[in-house]
Amino acid sequence: MQNPDVIVSCEGLDRTFVTKDAGENKVLQDINLQIRKGEFVVLIGPSGCGKSTLLNIIAGFDQPTSGLAAIAGEQIEGPGPDKAMVFQDYALLPWLNARENVEIGLRMKGVASAERTQQAMHVLGLVGLSEAAERPVYRLSGGMQQRVSIARALALKPKVLLMDEPFGALDAFQRAIMHKELVRIWRATGATIVFVTHSLEEAVFLGERVVAMTPKAVGLTGELIIDMPRPRDPLSPEFAALKRKLYEMLTAHLPADVDLFAD
Amino acid sequence: MSVDSARGNHVVGQAATRQTPTAAASAAAPLLKSLKYGLLGTLMPLAFVAIWWAAVAAGFFPRSVLPSPFAVGAAMFDWAFGDPARGGYSGTLLAAIGASGQRVIMGYGIAMILGVAIGVPTGASKLLGALVDPFIHLLRPIPVTAWVPLSLVFFGFGFKGAVFLVALGSFFPIVVNTIEGVRGANRSLIKVGRMLGARGFRLLWFFILPASLPSIFVGLRLGMGISWVLIIVAEMMSVKSGIGYTLLDAYSFGRFDVVIAAMITLGLMGFLSDRIILAIEAVVLRWHRETSIHAEP
Ligand SMILES: Nc1ncnc2c1ncn2[C@@H]1O[C@H](COP(=O)(O)OP(=O)(O)OP(=O)(O)O)[C@@H](O)[C@H]1O
Ligand SMILES: [Mg+2]
Repeated sequence: MQNPDVIVSCEGLDRTFVTKDAGENKVLQDINLQIRKGEFVVLIGPSGCGKSTLLNIIAGFDQPTSGLAAIAGEQIEGPGPDKAMVFQDYALLPWLNARENVEIGLRMKGVASAERTQQAMHVLGLVGLSEAAERPVYRLSGGMQQRVSIARALALKPKVLLMDEPFGALDAFQRAIMHKELVRIWRATGATIVFVTHSLEEAVFLGERVVAMTPKAVGLTGELIIDMPRPRDPLSPEFAALKRKLYEMLTAHLPADVDLFAD
Repeated sequence: MSVDSARGNHVVGQAATRQTPTAAASAAAPLLKSLKYGLLGTLMPLAFVAIWWAAVAAGFFPRSVLPSPFAVGAAMFDWAFGDPARGGYSGTLLAAIGASGQRVIMGYGIAMILGVAIGVPTGASKLLGALVDPFIHLLRPIPVTAWVPLSLVFFGFGFKGAVFLVALGSFFPIVVNTIEGVRGANRSLIKVGRMLGARGFRLLWFFILPASLPSIFVGLRLGMGISWVLIIVAEMMSVKSGIGYTLLDAYSFGRFDVVIAAMITLGLMGFLSDRIILAIEAVVLRWHRETSIHAEP
């Protein structure tokens, strides 16, 4: 019998891409991962290690070659509102305003109009966008657009919130603000979050548990529990020590002269 | 030199007397600008008419073949406002526009509905695309005028045949641009639609159709242009009313003033209907205009 607290479960997951030019590319091999209700899990690893591939499988956009991927004990059949994705490029509908972008998911769920508006305004309030509800999304800043995208996902009341490098396009200031906001939203809603990044800083600031992946590896590379109390100070020695630990975990198998995270 | 300095003085004077620009002044500026561009647009037609008038006055062409602009104007006036009791073309313009316009609206409307309704699923589904696409591209190169004999057999002389030709001709640009629009629609928007739980018709209606509207409007404009070409073909071949019929009828009587008046009417109708589509597009596709390369910074 499965633990009822487990929301996302991957067991012996493989994903192999077969392309004409590159042949077989075993991107994910024997991935085992359990994510419990309310957890904030960060997936970290260098570019090409398969983070997006894994997230896409959990979102239902892609299928594993073999192995099992399940949400709340049920095998994932395809995309749906129970596993909401926040895309790196926001992917808002430009012909709708901010509120309508949040409402459209509720509309697809069959929520009545007045109820929809009320719920949309509630989540827009959560992400601090009550004022901008009626503005066309293309006139919002990148950070605001990403908040709309988060609000849209939250409005679905998903079992898990999937975020694939959502703040990659933002500048350092906006990103820092969004990090704090996201932690606040996570605490306010109790959402289960899987967050993909390749930034050590982002991982240590956000995660309760950081899962490390390396390219071509069999299984996950390691796991780090971040038990540092919040709010976390990125300039504290504690924070730096955790970053180092994570860095060492990710680079343990590499020759000493390769610096994976050199900018 | 002197003009420049005069203008410079004027600006300085203006700045001195009006230190805070009023709301009216800032609203008038874009109006003046658009008026300027509007006037610019009338320049070439006016020059054309002037050359035409001069060529006729100089006797380059026999007046029986190329009447002067004034004669055409007079014919147009009589066609529009003349007493129908006088017979001939007097006072029949509105009826002609009505007859042609009705056929265009019918045929174009059918093409629009069918073009979008067939184009969206054909573009969205690989299977349907493989099934329908080659057929459309096989039919498309057949000139619509080549359909006239079959149209006469099936629909006879009159309204139905004309509507058929207009619908057929404008269908192709609409359906092809709809298919291409759907195929070119942003992939991540479709991913979003599926994530939000939309399937089948609702995915097409709420996500794929709006995303492909910019391309659909290209097809709608092209289709409208073709509609006016085909209504004339139809009216010349098989229908006994409308602008095209008047044009051919006037030709057979050697009334070139009316022929040219009919040509001008057609030009204006085509221009007007294009402007109507553009006006609708400006509202519907505001998001697209503001996110495209034409957007003002
Ligand atoms: N649709 C696909 N077809 C073929 N190969 C693919 C496909 N999608 C991903 N891959 C390959 O899988 C590998 C992992 O890709 P993935 O996008 O999951 O990496 P990532 O960890 O998200 O990297 P990044 O941090 O750059 O986003 C890459 O080598 C990529 O080329
Ligand atoms: Mg990725």
